[in-house]
Amino acid sequence: MFKKVLIANRGEIALRVIRACKELGIATVAIHSDVDANSLHVRLADEHVCVGPAEDGLSYRNIPNVLSAAEVTGAEAIHPGYGFLSENAHFAEVCESIGVKFIGPTSENIAALGDKARAREIMIRRNIPVLPGSPGELHSEGDALEAARKIGFPVIIKATAGGGGRGMRVVNKEDELVRAFQAAQTEAKSTFGNEAVYLERYFIEPRHIEVQVLADERGRTVYLGERDCSIQRRYQKLVEETPSPAVDEKLRREMGRVAVEAVKAVHYRNAGTVEFLLDKDQNFFFMEVNARIQVEHPITEMITGIDLIKEQIRIAAGMPLAFRQQDIKLSGHSFECRINAEDPEKFTPCPGLITRYRPPGGIGVRVDSVMESNSMVVPHYDSMIAKLITYGQNREESMARMRRALDEFVIEGIKTTIPLHRRIFVDSEFTKGRVSTTFLDRLLANVS
Amino acid sequence: MKKVKRSVRARSSSVEEPIASNRARPTKNDTGPMGEHSQFIQSFIDLLKQHNLAELEFEREGFRIRLKRESAAGSPLVAKSENTAGGGPAQADSQAAAISEQTNGMVTITSPIVGTFYRSPSPDADAYVEEGDVVKKGQVLCIVEAMKLMNEIESEVIGRVVKILAESTKPVEYGQPLFLIDPSQTG
Repeated sequence: MFKKVLIANRGEIALRVIRACKELGIATVAIHSDVDANSLHVRLADEHVCVGPAEDGLSYRNIPNVLSAAEVTGAEAIHPGYGFLSENAHFAEVCESIGVKFIGPTSENIAALGDKARAREIMIRRNIPVLPGSPGELHSEGDALEAARKIGFPVIIKATAGGGGRGMRVVNKEDELVRAFQAAQTEAKSTFGNEAVYLERYFIEPRHIEVQVLADERGRTVYLGERDCSIQRRYQKLVEETPSPAVDEKLRREMGRVAVEAVKAVHYRNAGTVEFLLDKDQNFFFMEVNARIQVEHPITEMITGIDLIKEQIRIAAGMPLAFRQQDIKLSGHSFECRINAEDPEKFTPCPGLITRYRPPGGIGVRVDSVMESNSMVVPHYDSMIAKLITYGQNREESMARMRRALDEFVIEGIKTTIPLHRRIFVDSEFTKGRVSTTFLDRLLANVS
Repeated sequence: MKKVKRSVRARSSSVEEPIASNRARPTKNDTGPMGEHSQFIQSFIDLLKQHNLAELEFEREGFRIRLKRESAAGSPLVAKSENTAGGGPAQADSQAAAISEQTNGMVTITSPIVGTFYRSPSPDADAYVEEGDVVKKGQVLCIVEAMKLMNEIESEVIGRVVKILAESTKPVEYGQPLFLIDPSQTG
């Protein structure tokens, strides 16, 4: 096992990794930008190194400084968290080449899965159901038109390097296609530096279902149930739950089997998530693999009892998985609300000073956050300031607990998404589990 | 161990700026700074210019060098060299000096990168500067070793070195104060 791990991230995920390391008896090194010097993740780590100014490109994404920090502190491994350098194949490769273990997938895994069109082609070769779409990159408007006619409207145009909703355009009719194609290319180029786009069939009211997988260094791979992440706004997840109300035992086993096959196709290592789209008729289609630990991983931990971060560290240290597929038992129900420093209606970021912070507590309530009273939410990074997670023996109990915890949660001084979460958890469609990726847009439209 | 000598301009900042403590400790053996590859690298730069190439990468026995032109021919070359056993190159671009005037007139030279601080070019050599020395603009003050690269930190100001704030062979973090310089004393 490693003696010392550097955490190349900030905020709640850095703290999450520090906690896992402490429980494993591993010393921790936090890195931080100059504006994060007083953050809780820095104070709770055994050592800390300032790696640059506020701008993440010069600090948290600054590969030479991050690696120098590992070198001068003698850290044997780096946990990248999510975002920043977590899906940077070059970074993973440099770590590998200098003998610092990257706690995550291999650089080849990241490269293969990071290119969405390439990942799709790999899955097609393995007979994994993918969304009906263009065979690869669209080189011209003519290509796009031909592919769209074959698939049938509506279609969605996506950036091959994409993620997070950028470079995406939904096209309902043929005469909208050319403009949407150009707009998606421009956005892809400006966001990812790569204008390559492809297109897929666009489903009305689908669910976003993802399957958590773990693979050890020998390639033994298991799945840990699904997460329903259908509550989204512009492809940003806001509420997640597991198990999904739309997935029964038979479908769960089938999606799990396909997810394992999908990651095995690239000889995947460590923790990963296979994202599927589930239509109304229970057909599911591969979308992509997220080659990292995900924000919403805690809900899987709550119903499996497995600490995913510790598993990541153990796998990276070369230890075989201590359990088999049949040992993984799902029990109870878990929800996660992402509390963002945003206006709950307009979603404009709302950085500033938290004058009062009082998290909820009690049985079945977990809060992953680095915030405290007098914490400053700086404008340089992601607006998520806390994850509120509940566990209950069933969906009803977990939901009641979330309503109760949201009412207890006090964050003063800045606007947060808590009021929106409260509305979601009393909505009649949501409480019945009848949601799709269009749920939130409709909920928001109903009020204004 | 392959060493590459480079120059990095120091970042100066306000004396009042709060800097977090660094409890990091070095764990490897210090072999001392050297710079033996400049000619080797120059030959690659010549090759790149000669053939008007945009990018050139060379790897042999744990040594890797990647040279890249920033834009069109004729523009300055951005040299990125690295020991493959030592990871990625430091970003000289991001370390441009920023001088801030002080209320008491003092200027703090801070580390522009994370690495190991050396006051002299090799363990046996004299220190680049001592307290009380007057330094010129562009004069080398120290070395910060990062990823096996020896980064010379140059002074951005003229003045007298009032205090040396970091200990030689110890790790320094980004923004850590290294030297206190009084620019009113120039001779």
